Amino acid sequence: MRLKSRFGPFGYIGIFVLLTIYFMPARVFGADAGNCLVCHKYPGLSRVDENGEMRLLFVNEEIHNKGVHGKVKCEGCHTDITKIPHEPAKPVDCLVLCHIIEPTSEQKFSHKSVATSLEDSVHSKKGKDGKEKPFSEDMPTCKDCHDDPLFRPLAFVKKVRPGVAEDALGRCRVCHTQEEFITRFYNHITTRLHKSRSPLNIAESCARCHDDPELVARHNLSTSAGGSYGQTFHGKAANLLDESVPDCLDCHVPKGKSVHQMYENKDPRATTHKDNRGKICNSVDCHPGASADFANYKVHAEFDKKSNPVIYWFTTFFIVLTGGTLLPLMAILFLDLLRRLFPNASFSRRKEK
Amino acid sequence: MKCFFTKLYILAFMGLVVFFGVLIWNLTFAHLIHEYHARKGDVSIQHEGEAGKKEKGKQTFDTMILESEDRVKHYLGYRVLEEQRIEGHFHHIGFDIGPDNRSYCRSCHGDMPHDKVKDVRAFLNMHAFFVACQTCHVKLEEKDKTNVYKWYDRKTGDIVDSPVNGAAPGTYQAKIIPFVRDENGKLVRIDSEEKIQFALDYKNNEKVLSEGQKSKAKKLIHKIISKTPVTCEACHTKNKPLLPLAELGYPQTRIDSITSTEVVGMIRNYTEFHMPKMLSPGEKPALPQLQPEPLLKQQSELQPKQQPELPPKQH
Repeated sequence: MRLKSRFGPFGYIGIFVLLTIYFMPARVFGADAGNCLVCHKYPGLSRVDENGEMRLLFVNEEIHNKGVHGKVKCEGCHTDITKIPHEPAKPVDCLVLCHIIEPTSEQKFSHKSVATSLEDSVHSKKGKDGKEKPFSEDMPTCKDCHDDPLFRPLAFVKKVRPGVAEDALGRCRVCHTQEEFITRFYNHITTRLHKSRSPLNIAESCARCHDDPELVARHNLSTSAGGSYGQTFHGKAANLLDESVPDCLDCHVPKGKSVHQMYENKDPRATTHKDNRGKICNSVDCHPGASADFANYKVHAEFDKKSNPVIYWFTTFFIVLTGGTLLPLMAILFLDLLRRLFPNASFSRRKEK
Repeated sequence: MKCFFTKLYILAFMGLVVFFGVLIWNLTFAHLIHEYHARKGDVSIQHEGEAGKKEKGKQTFDTMILESEDRVKHYLGYRVLEEQRIEGHFHHIGFDIGPDNRSYCRSCHGDMPHDKVKDVRAFLNMHAFFVACQTCHVKLEEKDKTNVYKWYDRKTGDIVDSPVNGAAPGTYQAKIIPFVRDENGKLVRIDSEEKIQFALDYKNNEKVLSEGQKSKAKKLIHKIISKTPVTCEACHTKNKPLLPLAELGYPQTRIDSITSTEVVGMIRNYTEFHMPKMLSPGEKPALPQLQPEPLLKQQSELQPKQQPELPPKQH
């Protein structure tokens, strides 16, 4: 009565508007609340900056919205942009307190714990003594390993092909009503239940640095890790998109730890430490029952005469044997077919009878 | 007839034998040779900073975007996303756009020719992705105007149907080119074969030309270019836009968007506050540098407060 008497019919309209907003689906408020994609949806939006570096300012809306950061507003990461038109954006700080409330702690979400893990890892810019490592600029930052992460949903009830399982979504819909929430939640959870990237993609990511001969030399690494992995059975299977073979992370990250917690071989916490190495292969998931020596073979043996002469000559022998057998066979087959094609052909002139 | 098929069969079989021969060679001896040469290269310790400096000059749009060999396939299980990989670029590109093989401007000015006006260089480069240089930089006199514009394929250079409908904005494999009338009154595209050949000849002979010859050639190439380009408002307006958007295949929704107050207002914002000199280079800005309207702020004020994401229900 009071509402009606003071504001007339506008009071009820106001309440109706507020209720409409409250119950409005979340997707109405997309990540692009600032309408940044008015400009950034164009692939040609690019420039050369003052340092001569090319800057592509395009955001593929379709892919971005389906990705892990699809719900994050642009200004959640690009915090320095507060107005349009804006000045050239500063590099994004992935550790910024952002955008989304972490549901269990009800605190703002942040990637700070990743940085903490990384600082303690082999990829830290600083050594154990707190001093900067030589060539510390080679150490990876977030974007060296990560582009905008994409979901890789897993289907338990759909065995033919991976992806979102409609049957599983049907169960979710019994209690949950928001379609976007259901799909996103399903994607989020099931992506975490298996490899978030295929073994091939992981190996490619690591190889960008670990196969760079100059970087390998600078850091006195014993091998180009990606290349030597590719020579192994695991690497060849990964190249054929086998998801069950171990990738770099399976061997180099301690079980149950974040992928950012990789340690150098001398560190007792490292999986590759001489005391722990035996446990890498004989886990229940891989080769249960394998002896500790099983993991002591040269995993990253390179095809190199100096460092691995036995493997080099053994491999060379088999390559020569294979090529030396099959190539002459092909040559004989070819010549035989040639004769069948031209049965009367001859290099020498026939004697006239 | 039988003999013919037998010969054909033998030929096919020979092809197969050669194919397997090459395959076996690549897998065996070629592999050994490749490994030998790969290892022969002397790997010297080099500071990252120095290496970076050396590389910077080599980066072009062609090598980094259009013809980039560094491709990546994301295996998502249900989908394989293949795209070019740009170092340090976070967002996915998701599709390929081929180089503009027709444009003769590109050979000197590149794919990102706009860099003078800091505030709009990216916007202008964005338009250069689907609008030929001549569309904005050639202002035809009233008597020469035909109001005919067409799309040409970036790869083949041929005139094609409008790629707009169904494609995401700006992702076209084609560019808009104006048409003019030749001496016979026939409609021809402004980038004639003759002009392309002239520019190509200049490019090929540039090193042997004298300074005077160079100047003359440049003058001739740029003869049709007007001092001031077409303004943004010439197209982004509801009142007789320069480009016949409907005839170029833009659906009404896109036309409304291009000429909307949102876009037009933003252009005005840029023109008045950020680049008063853009269309009159060399002159001092007439207006004081005012603070632009904080559009984001305005929007956040206008929009209702965003609903926080609720934690999932407990089962």
